[in-house]
Amino acid sequence: MSTDTLDATSAPDTTRPRRPVLTVSDLRIALDDGTELVRGVDFSLAPGEALGIVGESGSGKSLTCRAILGILPGGIDVTAGSIDFDGIELTDLGRKQWRPLRGTRIAAVFQDPASYLNPSIRVGEQLAEALRSTLGLSRADAKRRGLELFRKMGLIDADTVYRQYPHELSGGMLQRVLIAIAVSAEPELLIADEATTALDVTVQAEVLDLLEDLREELGLALVLVSHDLAVVAQVCDSVIVMRDGAVVESGRADDLLTAPRHEYTRQLVDNHREYGLESFIGKEAARV
Amino acid sequence: MLTAILRYHSARAAVIVLGLIVALALFGPVLAPFDPLEQDTSAILQGPSGTHWLGTDNVGRDVFSRLLAGSTVSVLSALQCVVVGFLLGVIPGFLSVYLGRSVEWFTLRLMDALITLPFLVFAVAMTALLGNGLAQAMFAVGILIAPAFYRVTRAAALTVANSQYVEAAELMGADTSWIIRRHAVRKVLPAVGVTFAAMTGASLVIVSSLTFLGIGVVPPDPTWGGLLASGLQYLYQVPFGPVVPALLIVATVWALNAIADALRDATGRPARRAPRKQEVTSDVH
Repeated sequence: MSTDTLDATSAPDTTRPRRPVLTVSDLRIALDDGTELVRGVDFSLAPGEALGIVGESGSGKSLTCRAILGILPGGIDVTAGSIDFDGIELTDLGRKQWRPLRGTRIAAVFQDPASYLNPSIRVGEQLAEALRSTLGLSRADAKRRGLELFRKMGLIDADTVYRQYPHELSGGMLQRVLIAIAVSAEPELLIADEATTALDVTVQAEVLDLLEDLREELGLALVLVSHDLAVVAQVCDSVIVMRDGAVVESGRADDLLTAPRHEYTRQLVDNHREYGLESFIGKEAARV
Repeated sequence: MLTAILRYHSARAAVIVLGLIVALALFGPVLAPFDPLEQDTSAILQGPSGTHWLGTDNVGRDVFSRLLAGSTVSVLSALQCVVVGFLLGVIPGFLSVYLGRSVEWFTLRLMDALITLPFLVFAVAMTALLGNGLAQAMFAVGILIAPAFYRVTRAAALTVANSQYVEAAELMGADTSWIIRRHAVRKVLPAVGVTFAAMTGASLVIVSSLTFLGIGVVPPDPTWGGLLASGLQYLYQVPFGPVVPALLIVATVWALNAIADALRDATGRPARRAPRKQEVTSDVH
């Protein structure tokens, strides 16, 4: 990671109390037939802050994210509550009103990086296209900026990667490419929905480091969705734990993970203790 | 795309054959040694000779010259037909994916209805309605082959529209026209190219069939199908008559199909082959 910032002025200023960039209050999401899938989620996120959403499959974490991004699947709608992004009520927006926000102010990365890139276009071009459409850069400027972003993302041989097709890159590299595209227009909010789940543990840690660096540099507010407590513990300031569409516990990450109050959270933490690597190393050490 | 299909031997031969035919269509009327309409009553129904390479017909016209002159009409009407089908198929194909439920429903039902109509009968009916001309007849056939283009376009456009990279593009602020231009077209193009080549072959057969039946062409004007028909009429006197026009039609259609096949293989959708006999019998023993 190089030390020069993408935009020094937007670096978080920790001395001043910050107005939240995203406030979700009593968000409810339901199927057309009335079945409620998300039952009242509340949180708020200041610029430069990272929030983790933890929970098992089907707990409503991804739906919450999709609601924030305005891409709920067909037949599923926000039925109550509000999503306030810097004074804009996102639940009311139509397609046209979404466009100026997307890419430039709100961006996202997802679980399976390979399927989020067009397989028939070189990855560099896909980044350059994003730069040209969101920032209105010229072809040459977009390429220069694109290469710079690739280097910043820790893609060592940026010039080669720029000319490669998605199938020629590994999962970790593809995720870096996608993160580069997502942050290319320096958005205020980045949603990472299981963004590191498909990566192996070392690559996962590297990508998380990258996200953390970007957060510090750009003052990026980060919503990190994961079913893995370790991922959340590494990056997030605060955590909400979801189960069956409801928030069961929320709080500062340190407090919540060291002293979980709700039974379900305790279970998650215990599972991690029981099956995590540390416990095995501990046992071996005890036996010897 | 051309370099990709040239790896296949059959496609290389097909490109050469097609090149010759296009040259015939472009320069045929200029190259013809005789006026294709000029009658010479002193030389009726002759076999091939030094002066008349492919012989003469029942009113003494030079068959070779007529064949050359007929190439332009035959090839151009086949192309006209395919272009009509392409426009009427590809555009609704895209619209059905991007313009919502009602457009989707309407275009699907319309294309289903068109599929039920038989080519030749519809073309005959249309020439009765619009006047006996090849342009009218081929426009009618063009409408009927539109469903082939529509379906291919729609199938490819649908897979792109539901893909995650399009969702990602939307999340980066791309609008529908950008997504069609940048993502859908490159997925649809190879499939449509295959259909275009195959359909050109098919419409050439239809042009030939129509002109063979005497539809859409005013009598003295030569076409491949018309020459085949008149050749058959005097088969007893000149047995060689229908061979060359028939071969021309066959060669063109083969070339177009071979190119279509190579195009399909080159763009990553190899034909499903039937299991070989050996493999089947080896299971039995």
